[in-house]
Amino acid sequence: MRQTRRVGGRRAARRRTALAYGLLAPSLVGIVVCLVVPIIIVAWLSFHRWDLLGPISYVGWDNWSRLLSDPTLGNSLLVTAAFALIVIPVQTALGLLLAVLLHRGLPGSGLLRAIYVLPWVCAPLALGIVWRWILAPTSGALNALLGTSVAWLTEPALALPAVALVSIWSQVGYVTLFFLAGLAVIPPSVVEAARLDGASGPRLLWHITLPLLRPTLFFVLLTSTITAFQTFDTVYALTQGGPSSLKDGVALGRTDVIARRIYADAFVNFDLGRAATAALVLFAVLVVVSLAQQLYFRRRITYDLS
Amino acid sequence: MVATYAVLLAAAGATLGPLALSFMTSFKTPRQFATQSALTAPDPWTGENYRALLGGQTVGFGHALLVTTGVVVVVLIGQLTTSVMAAFAFARLDFPGRDLLFWAYVATLMVPPVVTVVPLYLMVSQVGLRNTFWGLVLPYIFGSPYAIFLLRQYFRGIPQELVDAARVDGAGPGTVLLRIILPLSRPIMATLGVITVVTHWNNFLWPLIITNGSAWQVVTTATANLQGRYNGNWTLVMAATTLAMAPLMAVFVVFNKQIVSSIQITGFR
Repeated sequence: MRQTRRVGGRRAARRRTALAYGLLAPSLVGIVVCLVVPIIIVAWLSFHRWDLLGPISYVGWDNWSRLLSDPTLGNSLLVTAAFALIVIPVQTALGLLLAVLLHRGLPGSGLLRAIYVLPWVCAPLALGIVWRWILAPTSGALNALLGTSVAWLTEPALALPAVALVSIWSQVGYVTLFFLAGLAVIPPSVVEAARLDGASGPRLLWHITLPLLRPTLFFVLLTSTITAFQTFDTVYALTQGGPSSLKDGVALGRTDVIARRIYADAFVNFDLGRAATAALVLFAVLVVVSLAQQLYFRRRITYDLS
Repeated sequence: MVATYAVLLAAAGATLGPLALSFMTSFKTPRQFATQSALTAPDPWTGENYRALLGGQTVGFGHALLVTTGVVVVVLIGQLTTSVMAAFAFARLDFPGRDLLFWAYVATLMVPPVVTVVPLYLMVSQVGLRNTFWGLVLPYIFGSPYAIFLLRQYFRGIPQELVDAARVDGAGPGTVLLRIILPLSRPIMATLGVITVVTHWNNFLWPLIITNGSAWQVVTTATANLQGRYNGNWTLVMAATTLAMAPLMAVFVVFNKQIVSSIQITGFR
């Protein structure tokens, strides 16, 4: 009796395992084929030179050492970092401001919140093209508004701030939503107690609200960083990486962010080894950021207001 | 209170202004555009640009809208089905290797799309699917680790007693999934549905790489091509951007509350 039950149990377990792996099969295939194999190929490509048509040749660490001496990649990393350094602080501060004001719950707050989020559901590519017109030198709306004729997107000093502005404009609403969610879980009693102790306005914000918003702030900063480092559509629509300036005979794009560099190396210059190497550099940067996020999340869960 | 409203309304104006201006421009003729201020409403309004985009033989924007709709529908069905299957296995079945495999799935969330796009292009080209419909959707229909992660969390929150009760009545795993788990999971399914539609309607990099010419253009690549080809013809281009954005704006107006809460729950972008 006991014997049969054990056999039956084992058979049931085997059936359960088969069922589970059957259910997992499509997604396992997807992950292996669309994520694991591509990463192996990228790593392999970073040791080869290939123009998509001719023969593939093994070049050892050539792409990697080229990377260090390559001014265009260094330029792209600098441009991406500068872009992130403009976008992240500004959109975080604006998002926090709007969230604090919306949190007062004045009539119409719901509608305003919806308006702020609206650009976020739109294709970044389409928004980029809208802004390409708005920022156009002669026919654009911004110059019509200001009565100027500034070439916002082709003036070397203005191009990156202009691209950053568009990015900020489309993401502030998204950031605002997170701060609103963060503000909603702060117990009113804490704020009330601080008020009774005489704190108000900026002091209340700085000493009470902001420390309690720290988990949200961290989350916003990290997701914003990951997004900023992968920006592609907006740059493609607005500037295609330009305007370029020559330095030691090499054209360096003022808005040539790293994702656009990878795209251009692979599909415009047909230098797949270099594109793969740059992609791995970006991957490494983002893994570090994501790990920081994971570590942080562990703390976020234990965060306790009581 | 006045200062609060002043800031909030200024921000709303700055958000809506560019969208409203592009909308107005799309209803102007090139002649009106050249002679009127960019800040004034069209006088008179004209649908000529939209007629050229949707009716004209040369531009084929209507076709791009159809292709994009097809892509979104196929990805939505494929991704939700395969993700539900995987999430059910992770949440409700006991099998060797489960936890290890689940964390492997989660780890893949860290891989940025920009990194895998070059080899994916090589692989899809290798099997002859470059510039085809299946080439557009293939990398996305096998389930997304992100959707699986969210669904698993949700499925695990469904009380075991409900499942046990069904088991006693003779229900197998299939019945449990279809009759008990899924009907209780409508909110998360709706959230994931919205996320998938927004992501894939707006997707640009993959269609840009894997298609060329007009046969399989989606709205984003069609808009980008149009901007390149009719450079300076802003009235036509603004009609294209309006058409590219309008469907999702309509979805947003209808599902505003759900979208806002789903962003706050999932932190997705």
